[in-house]
Amino acid sequence: MRKRLALLLVAAICLSVAFLVSGAVAQEPKYGGVLRWREVSDPPKLDPAMSTDTSSSRNVYLMFDMLVDNDPDGKRIVPRLAESWEASPDGKTWTFHLRKGVKFHRESMGKPTLNGGREVKAQDWKYSFERLVKVNSPRAYFIDMVKGYKDFVDGKAKEWTGIKVIDDYTLQFDLDYPFSPFLSVLAYNTFVVVPKEDAEKWGKEFNFHPVGTGAFILQRWDHDQRLVYKKNPDYWKKDSAGRQLPYLDGVEVVIIPDNTIAYEEFKKGNIDVLPAPPDEYYEEIKAKYPHLLQERPELGTYYYGFNNAKPPFKDNLKLRQAFNYAVDRQAINELVIHGRYFPAKGILPPGMPGYNPNLKGYEYDPKKAKQLLAEAGYPKGITVDLNVNNDPRHTLISEAIQAQLKQVGININIKVLDWGVHLDLCERGETQMFRMGWVADYADPDNFLYVLLHSSNHGSKGNYSFYSNPKVDELLAQARVETNWDKRMKLYQEAEQIIVNDAPWLFLFHYTTSLLAQERLKNVHLPAFGDYSTPLDVVWIAK
Amino acid sequence: MFSYVVRKLLYAVPVIWGVVTIVFILMAIVPGDPARLMMGQRGDPETLARIRADLGLDLPIHKQYVRFLKDLARGDLGVSYRNNEKVVDALMTRFGATLKLAFWAMILASILGILAGIISAVKQYSIFDYSAMFIAISGISAPVFWVGLLLLLIFAYTLHLIPGVGYVPGDWRYFILPVITLGVRPAALIARLTRSCMLEVMTQDYIRTARAKGLHERAVVMRHALKNALIPVVTIVGTEVADLLSGAVLTETIFAWPGVGRLAVEALVARDFPMIRGTVIFMAVIFLVANLIVDISYGFIDPRIRYD
Repeated sequence: MRKRLALLLVAAICLSVAFLVSGAVAQEPKYGGVLRWREVSDPPKLDPAMSTDTSSSRNVYLMFDMLVDNDPDGKRIVPRLAESWEASPDGKTWTFHLRKGVKFHRESMGKPTLNGGREVKAQDWKYSFERLVKVNSPRAYFIDMVKGYKDFVDGKAKEWTGIKVIDDYTLQFDLDYPFSPFLSVLAYNTFVVVPKEDAEKWGKEFNFHPVGTGAFILQRWDHDQRLVYKKNPDYWKKDSAGRQLPYLDGVEVVIIPDNTIAYEEFKKGNIDVLPAPPDEYYEEIKAKYPHLLQERPELGTYYYGFNNAKPPFKDNLKLRQAFNYAVDRQAINELVIHGRYFPAKGILPPGMPGYNPNLKGYEYDPKKAKQLLAEAGYPKGITVDLNVNNDPRHTLISEAIQAQLKQVGININIKVLDWGVHLDLCERGETQMFRMGWVADYADPDNFLYVLLHSSNHGSKGNYSFYSNPKVDELLAQARVETNWDKRMKLYQEAEQIIVNDAPWLFLFHYTTSLLAQERLKNVHLPAFGDYSTPLDVVWIAK
Repeated sequence: MFSYVVRKLLYAVPVIWGVVTIVFILMAIVPGDPARLMMGQRGDPETLARIRADLGLDLPIHKQYVRFLKDLARGDLGVSYRNNEKVVDALMTRFGATLKLAFWAMILASILGILAGIISAVKQYSIFDYSAMFIAISGISAPVFWVGLLLLLIFAYTLHLIPGVGYVPGDWRYFILPVITLGVRPAALIARLTRSCMLEVMTQDYIRTARAKGLHERAVVMRHALKNALIPVVTIVGTEVADLLSGAVLTETIFAWPGVGRLAVEALVARDFPMIRGTVIFMAVIFLVANLIVDISYGFIDPRIRYD
């Protein structure tokens, strides 16, 4: 009996060990396989200098590398092709020490590249930054504080003097003034390195023959169908155990315009990652596939701007506040969009440095709204035009807000417009009230508060509500040059509270980002910047 | 015949010029700046000005127009603002996919429509007639996106008989559902029109004479009635072909098919002027050519028609 017991015990131990070993083996990353990622439309720009939309950015992230990167939570900057960096005490000089042994792609679109897979040097970075200006990149002005920008843009200088090659592996930027968010801005996916030989050879056609240093190489682009990538065998990055990345053999970005079909294709297993699962299937997904759904707050804000430069909102704080008290954000979020957003008290989204959980915002209070409306000079109510760009989700939200505002005596005429027309009217100030959203370009409060609410940015530069407050301007300008992190964050929090008190917007929601990934995919980590920036170089497929 | 074709082609020149001019004026009037859209949600005015200059949008509208006509005369439709693709190349690659889809959809629609129309007319008020016409009315009424989704849900995602959506040249399984989806409406139209034309022709004196001669009913229907009944049907087939070739946007969207329709819609949203002008010229040419082929085909169906 004892012998039998001992045998059973040994057998149990063996089984446990086997199980543990197999478990450990199962966690060992496996090489191979192709990941199929869904996009709604063909990416317009694969040249990182020209890319401004998320669909293009998804592809740019696969092929190119910046000097620095955001960590997945968007809370700090981590090295990418720069191994380390330092700023001078006055904050006006930034020196970057480049990673050695990083190589450009040896091929693109199935053909050898001119650079032949050579190593990236500091001179390539200088060329890449100068190229942004030469090709009129819509994002070059993000770093217009780098010395010599204006002269180089105007053709008065042959080079961008503020960008200096110290040696093959050291690059330096001289700034006109200390710009604290500089490092965060460099993590934006326009500021990548490209080889001069190939960029010059192709000119504008570089868009169709992109060459970078990233984990994947573009092999084929069938417009409106798919983009086929294969792994870059010379990729610079290794995992924590020293294994060569990427694990995947390739990536296919598949264009499926219809949401229903994309969801069905995911269920059928024809696609592996479905970013931003559609609202109409959200409840089903949460019930049936909670283990495949990833969702997290995104660094973005959804708001209705008032035109603060024209009646009826100009110089009428009580009217603007009445709107803010009249909307039940929580109810709209739950009833209309399945709770996929977060009600907003202010401008900065949760997760953004400087986010203030104790910000004093506007709670739902229809009585107070009515009282403020009367005090604002509209005791019998008011009718206002609301411009909304054409999107089912925006239309639904606007109709819910319209119904809530009606209860306090505010009538809203909703005008649904095509995006181009909408943007045009907003930046010309030809609106009374408009829908707008903002997702971070870089993880710094400057990207929200300065861009969207500083008076120097009225119109196309981001301040569509034409808000102006000298005190806010002063605080935001001060925060830009402040090098002490804690002091900066305090300045931003003070500015945000003043802005919220001024109510230049109807504060509504903060975004979330989400994706569905097949169970066999491992290491898919959704970043706070949005699904399109999900790193795929560390993803592997369990067989 | 030859001079007729040449004359028709020459007529096409002012028509295309008119279409192009109207589109050009419309694009100049509608709000929405392509350079601004290229910049994304925000942009500084200096960069915007440089992009506008680069695209030639800073020129006065009449100079832009003259420049465009000069390029057009050289056969150059320009380059897409949106992605730098040459407009001609973009149209040619997308047209291949659209052509395959439209061709097979029209073959299917013509065969089914004409057969159903003939049988319905010959067996008027029979069960077949009622059933065929009920299906035809449903085919005309059912929205394309609904038919497409339904077919996909049944055959691809429930019964798993079809692998899925996408454009895979050479794999017929990917063609079946989009062809049926696109062919349903023209098939229904053709069936109804064939039936009514056949019914009208079948009451004519020469049909009675043919029958009185003792001809077999099949010969009466196929040789005498059908030929005369087909003229309006051919007209409809021609315009439907042109319609399908100029872009079946919904079918292309549902089945992720890289066609001309999707190209045109994306160009409109992005205010991609060269691509919009290119697709409109392309569609105008398709309609003109289709109508010309229809006109020529009349002569083969009815020898009394002359091209003077």
